[in-house]
Amino acid sequence: MTAPAVPTAPGPLVLDARARTPWWVARSRQERLGLRLLLPVFATVVVIGTVPFLLAIVRAVTSDSGQFVGLDNFSRALGNSQLYDAVKATAIYAAIVLPTEILLGLGLALLVHRTVKSAAIRAAIYIAAMIPIVIPQIAVGVVFRLVYAPDYGILHVLLGDTSHSQILWLSSPPLAMFSVASVDIWQWTPFVYLIMFAGLQTVPMESVEAAQVDGASAWTQFRYIELNYLRPLLLLVLFFRMADVMRVFDHVYVLTGGGPGTTTEFLSLYLYRIAFRFSDLGQASALAVVVMAAMTAFYTLISRFLPAERS
Amino acid sequence: MPRAAKRVLTTLILLLATAIFAFPLYYLIVTSLKDKAELFAPVQTLWPEAPTIDAYIRVLVDRNYSELLVNSIIAGVCATLLAIVVALAICYPITRLPVRRRLRAFVLNWALSLRFLPPIAIVIPYFTIVRWMGIYNNLLALILVYAIFNLPLSIWMIKGFLEEIPIEIEEAAMSDGATRFYAFRHVLLPLAQTGILAAAIIVFAFDWAEFLFAFILTATPQSMTFPVGVQGLVTQFEIIWNDMAAGGVIAILLPLGLMLLARRHVMTGLTFGVIREK
Repeated sequence: MTAPAVPTAPGPLVLDARARTPWWVARSRQERLGLRLLLPVFATVVVIGTVPFLLAIVRAVTSDSGQFVGLDNFSRALGNSQLYDAVKATAIYAAIVLPTEILLGLGLALLVHRTVKSAAIRAAIYIAAMIPIVIPQIAVGVVFRLVYAPDYGILHVLLGDTSHSQILWLSSPPLAMFSVASVDIWQWTPFVYLIMFAGLQTVPMESVEAAQVDGASAWTQFRYIELNYLRPLLLLVLFFRMADVMRVFDHVYVLTGGGPGTTTEFLSLYLYRIAFRFSDLGQASALAVVVMAAMTAFYTLISRFLPAERS
Repeated sequence: MPRAAKRVLTTLILLLATAIFAFPLYYLIVTSLKDKAELFAPVQTLWPEAPTIDAYIRVLVDRNYSELLVNSIIAGVCATLLAIVVALAICYPITRLPVRRRLRAFVLNWALSLRFLPPIAIVIPYFTIVRWMGIYNNLLALILVYAIFNLPLSIWMIKGFLEEIPIEIEEAAMSDGATRFYAFRHVLLPLAQTGILAAAIIVFAFDWAEFLFAFILTATPQSMTFPVGVQGLVTQFEIIWNDMAAGGVIAILLPLGLMLLARRHVMTGLTFGVIREK
C-alpha cells in the first residue's frame, strides 16, 4: 500500500512529478480520464458499502425512540454472557473444521498428484470436487437433514439403530457440534483439495526428480520442496475459510437452529436472534458495529500476507 | 510397499472418498422420488420402491413455489447485470488507464475486505435502510444488496480477465482513429466476453444460492426467493421429507448446471483470481 507509485504513463516529466503530486492530481491526460471514470463509480460504491456501518453506529447509540443513550447498547451487548458462548461456539467450530479440511484436502491432493497419472481421471475428480462447492448452503442443510434426522435420517438406518436406541445426531449437545461441523467438512474439503492440487501442479518437475534421484522420501519431498509452493495457497485457503466460518448460517439454521440450547449458536445465529427474534435492534446494532470493527481490524492485520495486489 | 499394493490402497481411498461425498446427494435424489407411503415405512430404503415425481409437482404447482423460482431468477439476473456493469466500470480504468498503483491497490483491497464482512452484521443496518426506503419485501432491495455483495468477486475476476488482454490491440485501434469508447466496445469487450460471461455465471449462481438476506428482507411469496421457500419446507412441514428433498434438488440443479458450464473459471472466481486454469 505504501510503496511509491511507479509511473506507467510515458512522458519525461512524470519521474519528477511523482514525488510531489498526490494521487488525485492527474499527471497525464490519460490518468485524468482514468480518475474521471473510476472515482464517481467507486465513490458511490464505497458510500453504499460504508453507510450501513455508520448507520449501525448511529442506531447503536440511540434508543428505539431515537434518544441518545450513549454506550448503553454496547455495554448491554458486551455484558451479555451469551455473546461469549457464541464466540466460543464459533471458535470450537473453526477449530474442528479448519484443520480437518486443510489436512484432508492437502492429503487427498498429494495422493492424487502422486498416484493418479491419467488425465481423464484427474479431470473427472476435478469436476466431482466442484459439485459440493456449488451447492447452495440451504440445500446442503436439507441434504444433511436427511442424513442426521432421527427416525427418518439414513444414518441411523445404516448404523442399524432401532427407534429405541437412536443416536441423536442433531439434538444432543456435543454431538450436534460435530454433526454441523461434518457438513462444513463435507462441503469445503473439496475446495481445499482443488486449491492444493492446483498448487502442486506448479511445482517444477526437475526439482522433484532431482530429489528423488537423491533418494528423498515422500515426506522429505513434501516438506522441503512442495510445501514451499503451497505455503501462499495455504494462507489463501485459511483466509477464505475463516471468512466463511465467520458467516456460517444457512446450514446450521436448517439443521439445528443453533440448538440444542445454544450449542451450535454461532456468532451469525446469535446476532440473528438478538436482531430479529428479540427485535432488539439497539443491542444488535452495537453487536454489528463490534463485529464489523473486529473483522476490519483482523482483515487489516492479515491482508498483507495475502496475494492481494501482485501486479 | 510394493507398487501393486499401493495402487489398490490409493484406489480404495479415492473410492471411499467418492462414496462419502456422493452418498448424501444420492440419498437426497432418492428421497425426492419416493411416494408418500414409503415415507411412513418403519425402515427407510436406499432406493425408491415406486419412483414418482409427485413431490416435485407438489412443490412447484401445489405450493406455487414456481413463483419463488421466478423471483430468484429476476433478482439474480438483475443483480448480476448490475454487479458486472459496475465491476467493468471500475476495472476498465484500473487496467487500461495509468491510474496510480496506490489507488488501484486501494480499490482492489477494499473489494477484498468486503468479502470478509459477515453478512449478518451488514443486514442489521440494511434492514433499517430498506424499510426506510420503503423497499422491504421488494425484490429491488435484494437486487441492490446482491449486487453490492458480489461486487468484490466481480471486480477481481474481471480485472484478471482484462489484464490478460494485451493493451496494444486497443492502442492499435485507437491509433487508427477509433475513439476510446469504440475501442472498448468493439475491441476489448469482444475479447473479454468469455471471461465476463464466466464471471456473470458465477455471480448469478451465488445470487441464486443466497439465503440470509432474502430471509430477512422479504416476507411474502411475492418477493421471497427459492432458498427461503426451501427453508420453509424444512421447519414447517418437517414430516414431508420428499417435498423437502425435491425442493433441495431444484435448488441445486441450476447452479450445478451453470457451474459445469463455467467449470474452467469457477476456482478462479472462488479464489479471486489466485488459481488459474491453463
